[in-house]
Amino acid sequence: MSVVATEQPGTPPGGFLAGVGRRATSGGVASQIVVPVAAVVAALVVGGVLIALDGTNAFSAYREVLRAVFVGKRGLSDTATAATPLILVGLGYSIAYRARVFTIGGEGQYLIGAIAGTAWVTAGGIRTWPGFPLVLTGLIAAALAGAAWSGIAGWLEVRFGANVVISSLMLVYVAGSVLQWAVRTGIRDPASFVPNSRPLLAAQLPRLPGTSTHVGFAIAMVLVPIAAVFMARHRGGFRVVATGFNPNALDANEISKKKIVMLVMVIAGALAGLAGMVETAGSTGRLGAAASVGFGFEAIIVAMVGRLHPIGVAVAALGLAGLTIGFESTQRVLEVPSTLVGVITALIVVFVVIGDALANRGREGR
Amino acid sequence: MVAANGTSMVEMRGIHRRFGETHALRGVDLTLRAGEIHALLGSNGAGKTTLVRILAGLDRPDEGTVSVGGSLVERFDPKRMRAMGVALVQQHFTLVPTLTASENLVLARPDGWRRGTGRSESSRLAQLIERTGLSVRDDVPAGRLSVGEQQRLELLRALDADARVLLLDEPTAVLTDQEAESLLSVCRTLAAEGRALAFISHRLAEVFDGSDRVTVLAEGREVVRDEPVSSHTRSSLASAMIGHESSGTFTDRGGREGNRVDGRLVLSGIAVGRLKSIDLSVAGGEIVGVAGVDGNGQSDLEAAVSARVAMKVGRVELDGLALIPGNPRRRRTRGLAYIPSDRYQFGLVGSMDLSDNLDLGRVPRWRRSRSKRRAGRVDELALWDVRTSGPGARASSLSGGNAQKLVLARELDGTPKAVLACYPTRGLDPGAADSVAARLVRCANEGAAVLWIGAELDELLAVADRIVVLAGGRLLGPFFPPYDRAAIGLAMAGESHEVNVR
Repeated sequence: MSVVATEQPGTPPGGFLAGVGRRATSGGVASQIVVPVAAVVAALVVGGVLIALDGTNAFSAYREVLRAVFVGKRGLSDTATAATPLILVGLGYSIAYRARVFTIGGEGQYLIGAIAGTAWVTAGGIRTWPGFPLVLTGLIAAALAGAAWSGIAGWLEVRFGANVVISSLMLVYVAGSVLQWAVRTGIRDPASFVPNSRPLLAAQLPRLPGTSTHVGFAIAMVLVPIAAVFMARHRGGFRVVATGFNPNALDANEISKKKIVMLVMVIAGALAGLAGMVETAGSTGRLGAAASVGFGFEAIIVAMVGRLHPIGVAVAALGLAGLTIGFESTQRVLEVPSTLVGVITALIVVFVVIGDALANRGREGR
Repeated sequence: MVAANGTSMVEMRGIHRRFGETHALRGVDLTLRAGEIHALLGSNGAGKTTLVRILAGLDRPDEGTVSVGGSLVERFDPKRMRAMGVALVQQHFTLVPTLTASENLVLARPDGWRRGTGRSESSRLAQLIERTGLSVRDDVPAGRLSVGEQQRLELLRALDADARVLLLDEPTAVLTDQEAESLLSVCRTLAAEGRALAFISHRLAEVFDGSDRVTVLAEGREVVRDEPVSSHTRSSLASAMIGHESSGTFTDRGGREGNRVDGRLVLSGIAVGRLKSIDLSVAGGEIVGVAGVDGNGQSDLEAAVSARVAMKVGRVELDGLALIPGNPRRRRTRGLAYIPSDRYQFGLVGSMDLSDNLDLGRVPRWRRSRSKRRAGRVDELALWDVRTSGPGARASSLSGGNAQKLVLARELDGTPKAVLACYPTRGLDPGAADSVAARLVRCANEGAAVLWIGAELDELLAVADRIVVLAGGRLLGPFFPPYDRAAIGLAMAGESHEVNVR
């Protein structure tokens, strides 16, 4: 008689994300800090080899990266600006993944947030409001819309058991189509020849004094400690973590696990939606057909390398943004292809996964 | 290998099997003969399943010999035993739920390396069905078949390999009465073809309906060895299953009298899962023991009373207020303590530390720092005698007894009004079991209504003020002290018809 193991109901989906939740939350110091740092170093070494193969001195390339970020005129400001959406979306992911709810739909929630926020602040009768209430209500509208979009995937899981990984990803494509409709028809600027929303004008985020970074970065940096305190000291954080470890025990004693699934999906969606509006109102100034640039996916890596910890997320987002900004300059100066950033990022992911596996094996071996 | 009826096909002699400290089998003999159905009886943990698992090659004996069809088994391996014609239909289905019936057959015994056509696969199933009379649909995935059909498919798969010795581990536990009846008649046909059958059961009725011989195990020993069923009566088998005297000392209920508060915990008309309209009222200060064999609705009763599942019919009331699923914290604030049967699944979060586990179900909105949370739990852990390296240890690092004490520390904190204790001493050593029982008795003495679902009859006899038996989804009894073990044993085997519990 063949003995065939059937999957336990409620088993989280497989794939590398499944390991992320478990290892990043249960590991000791080794997998919390040593693994991501070692992975970054290893990825930079391999990246250096690739640069050398391309015919450039790897050390001068990395020196140029550092110079561009820390010495260059707008290096730090640009890094902060580039990191902002990654921090926001990554924070949401980090909370959801602690509950082992593996949403990967941040990109869609980001777009829906951007569309809803833009629609609100460019709507007739509202776009003439003064700056502060306009910005504030725009950001709130974006967060609510992102939360609702993410909530669809959460509800599908809670009500019908549809896998969040799949439904959240599919909703990204729906959101992409909504964006194309919005900029062509829904909220199109009648005065514009190309498909665009109206310019945000008064709804644009002001700059932080003395920098070229918009206040969205400050918002993100305020949300980091809030998220950290929520996870460490608030009842909700306890419930999220308990859901990740043993949803049944939570369900029998504390709160319905379905409510926690909805909670983390709504939080992740709100943060991603906020990111969409912050980017539109802070950087691009109006919503265009090419608004989807992949922050929602990049933030998965940020959450993972940041060990699902809010502070780690901020560090990882700034690091990744710094690499991107630095390599843009390196491309100009040394003609090293800036797409190398993508290669290095991918290598970081590979090395983190390997490092987690090794750290895990070490623990089990003891 | 068609043997004449009555020839011995399986001989197991002097089988011993230990699992760590537990001595599961202590020198058991078993003979299975062609053309006969052999019933294996015994209470939970008597060693029945271990015995058939050894015969199926899924386990090996520490001592003793097994021979099948006259040849001695030297290596215990499921494949080899299958080749010798032994097939085991396990309690838990081993079908692939997404494959159809015929695909499951092919998976178990492929025709060479190449997959046949769908038509040839279904015709193989059809022939088998025609030969045995076991009907199974082939147009839906196995997961969508009824449990009765899945059971038949398991049996078909065993017969497909032309098993001469069929072992059935509680085949009727999940079946309706009609399905069980038809399964038994199929078993009789199979035996008449010259096969040897052994089936594990808890239902005495089936033993008298279907089988020729009976062996009763109790704590790894044979109390009835290979005797014809006709030489027994229901009550003689029931008392053999239960044993005659208490096998240990247990915490006594200690002459608890007076100040009963009637109707503290009231179950009315509960029907969910296997339960068929359960009515029970537990008074404050009373311990009601629910005896019975696992799988007769125990897990449904646990889920219903702990408000983990919604019931189609019926309600659970505590001091007149209904307990409704959906808000586990309300269960606690209303005063119902819940000691789950599976403490690692429903009681504790193994990867979190002890202080977090003590917080489960009563976390304040804002929590103190981790070090303060831990420091604040040191005294509580000492009070409940949880032996550990400290409140920062993970719950999964605790031994079974300490893990249970941790659950008690959380659940029994602050004088609960009612306690639902499900197998509270399962897996604990005698000392730990005794201290857990003592805690529960103290709860009752302090006025709590205690509903104790238990497997150890001796323990329930010592502790409970009243015993009801859950068999086949119905409550039988009640029984009052001094308890009549034989009557309770008969009820556990589904033989009592008093359904007047209140």
